[in-house]
Amino acid sequence: MSISANRRTFLLGTAAAATVPMLFHGRPVLAADRDTVTIRMDTDIGNLDPANRTGSTEDNILYAVCQNLARFNPNSLEWSPDAAKSLKQVSDTEIDFELNPGQMFHGGYGEMTAEDIKFSFERFTKTDDKGNKPAYADDFSALDHVEVTGKYTGKIMLKNPAPALWVIGICDGSGAILSKAACDKLGDKISTQLIGSGPYSFKEWKPKEQFVLEANPDYKGPDTPHFKQIVTKIIPEPKTALLAYLADEIALTEVDPTSQDELKKKNAGEVKKIDGIDYQWIGINVEKPPLDNIKVRQAIRYAIDVDAIIAGAYNNTVPRADNLLAPGLLGYWKDTPVYKHDPDKAKALLAEAGQTNISLTFTSLNDATSQAIAQIAQANLAEVGINVTLKPLDSGAYWALGDHDASKDLELTLIPYSSKFDPSFQTQWFLSDQVGVWNWQRWKSPEFDQLHKEAASILDKGEREKKYIRMQQLLDESASCIWITHGVHVFGHDTWFKPAFLPNGINWQLRFYDKA
Amino acid sequence: MPQPLIFFLRRLFATALTVVGAVAALFLLIQFVPGDLVSVLLGPRATPALRAAITAKMGLDEPFLTRLWLFLSQAAQGDFGNDVISGRPIRDIVFEVLPNTFELAFSALGVSLLIGIPLGALAAVKPGSLIDTLLGVVSVAFITTPSFVLSIVLLLIFSISLHWLPVTGAGTPGDFGDRLDHLILPTTALALGWVGYIARLVRASLLEVLAEQHVRTLRAFGVPEWRVVLVFAMRLALVPLISVLGIGIGDLIGNAIFAEIVFARPGIGTTLYNAAASRNYPVLQAAIVIVVLTYVIANLLVDLVNGILDPRVMRARRQAA
Repeated sequence: MSISANRRTFLLGTAAAATVPMLFHGRPVLAADRDTVTIRMDTDIGNLDPANRTGSTEDNILYAVCQNLARFNPNSLEWSPDAAKSLKQVSDTEIDFELNPGQMFHGGYGEMTAEDIKFSFERFTKTDDKGNKPAYADDFSALDHVEVTGKYTGKIMLKNPAPALWVIGICDGSGAILSKAACDKLGDKISTQLIGSGPYSFKEWKPKEQFVLEANPDYKGPDTPHFKQIVTKIIPEPKTALLAYLADEIALTEVDPTSQDELKKKNAGEVKKIDGIDYQWIGINVEKPPLDNIKVRQAIRYAIDVDAIIAGAYNNTVPRADNLLAPGLLGYWKDTPVYKHDPDKAKALLAEAGQTNISLTFTSLNDATSQAIAQIAQANLAEVGINVTLKPLDSGAYWALGDHDASKDLELTLIPYSSKFDPSFQTQWFLSDQVGVWNWQRWKSPEFDQLHKEAASILDKGEREKKYIRMQQLLDESASCIWITHGVHVFGHDTWFKPAFLPNGINWQLRFYDKA
Repeated sequence: MPQPLIFFLRRLFATALTVVGAVAALFLLIQFVPGDLVSVLLGPRATPALRAAITAKMGLDEPFLTRLWLFLSQAAQGDFGNDVISGRPIRDIVFEVLPNTFELAFSALGVSLLIGIPLGALAAVKPGSLIDTLLGVVSVAFITTPSFVLSIVLLLIFSISLHWLPVTGAGTPGDFGDRLDHLILPTTALALGWVGYIARLVRASLLEVLAEQHVRTLRAFGVPEWRVVLVFAMRLALVPLISVLGIGIGDLIGNAIFAEIVFARPGIGTTLYNAAASRNYPVLQAAIVIVVLTYVIANLLVDLVNGILDPRVMRARRQAA
């Protein structure tokens, strides 16, 4: 045997090895089995217990696997009865319900009765053996008790009128009806073994990889599961998700708005955009000199060019926000003032305030978009003579600013908060008692606090709307917030497949997924 | 007591110390890291009471030494406690993804050895030739290309354009073909850098050995060239490579995180990353222990193999002791 012979053999072997991948040629990655749809979510399951869930992934599963007394209609905030045959608000503090008979829980846990409603709702008001409330206790804070009046009938008794209870409690993830028998048997395991009575059952979970929902043949509710299985792959990285979508591995994914043009590369795909209701803003700490001077805050508001931020950081893919509540929400202030970039006015206000040499710190998350926003704001403020130091933080350090009064040292902060459909959820973080916790502007207004309290406990929609608009006017007068965007959600989905979403784009209504 | 046994016991003791030291260092670091799990997961929904409750549940309100002792004593029994969010045993969370990472790291190591050693040998027997020059250029290109860049390029070619191989996941457990499909691209992305590195290392080492007197003697005695290279010289040339492999396993597990993120593969890398980002310290500690254990055991094995291949190593350590 000689070396040259070995070399030839080696080269031959290498060439052969290089052809191995060709053995896989033309193999479709996604089976054309239309009884199954494979979609992508970005976060794995944390805890499926409705009272201790951790994010939208769990909400999306709960909507499909569990029934609520009432559920949102497809792509809408309007609701219709689900497990309930009838559901009526008979007074400000009483809601009566009657269940449809014969609604069976998965896994042989029996028929749903009014006792299951009492158990599912009252567990939000109870504390564990160490005195801790569930994470989502606030969703049912108005609940006094549930009175069972028959096998299928009962009354939800409230401590005070609670208009938000319908959209935040009864129709949402918190209102998912659990089997009391299953919870008694499974104990803490309900965090990973969800037993519901909805159109789909929770069949399988491979942590960090995928979970599978399977059509429930015993389902007796108003909807029809259109797929035998919904397979959800967990793909945290948006670019990977985009590639998986283009490679036909998944039929639905959300993408970063700036990547939406990439979606068009798929011939048999469609792009869907849903305006968000979340809110991102630059908060100004009103306690920290010289920001305690309202003229300085107004100057900063005129100096920062929000349109340039939308163009530079978001490539004009998201709409600009001008106040707290997004269009479509109760209390949206359509006549809100729009502050255009006006460096001359900003300089004049600074001169009036007697401030000529200001240095500030701008704190933000360390993702690319947040840093781009911070850099644009830094350049804008330099234009009017304000020197800004950027302080990007990872999410752990950033959200720790809500602890131990850490926000007292903040100056300018880019803040992204998520929303719910009732405006009281959004306004609560601007209350005086949130200073030192999540009110990082540290702005206090007794009138705002009073309005929040009143608006959260009256049922008249018109009156509520007026109060929320007034609250936003107060925020606007404080010049403590520079609103950036409510965001947008961009999805790519196969043309054969018809998804459904709530109008926030975050909550996916898997139970209504269908073939186009 | 036989010398090899003493050598082994000494290395075992050092290994245990390394694990304890790494875990202690991690515990110490946690004292200074801002942020908590509940705030990261729930944002403004995280009430101070809930944060305090979860902190207590994770045992973070206990003194440093108490926590360290509790963790080490429980970990020694294979018990890492339960995850405070899902309530699942942390042992399950870590061990269910560990095979995926091992599969990826060891397949990448295997591929890089299978390709890198022959390439290095080929370059060494023909120094200065076209093949040697070409291999030098290609090796440096492989070494300097980050694995995540390579991952994306491979995905674009083989998954998006050609539709030959899947993009995400680790494949169906028990289905060998499916798992192999899911392994090809991440393995290639991880292995190529090491192919270049191993090829360079083997070339340099083999050239050095081939220039030694005993090799000249072998040639003078008419031993065939292939036996000189493959049987006599290669054995000695591989000693430095084996030492590097110990470090390589750690490097591959570290690099696996990029492949796991890009290919959405469940694994210890993404588990570590997510646990650190979300401040889920109990899961982070358990994952760190597993990674440290893997690393030190690999190095222990490397030391033992080195000792067997080259008795001078064991003799040197004995003299040092």
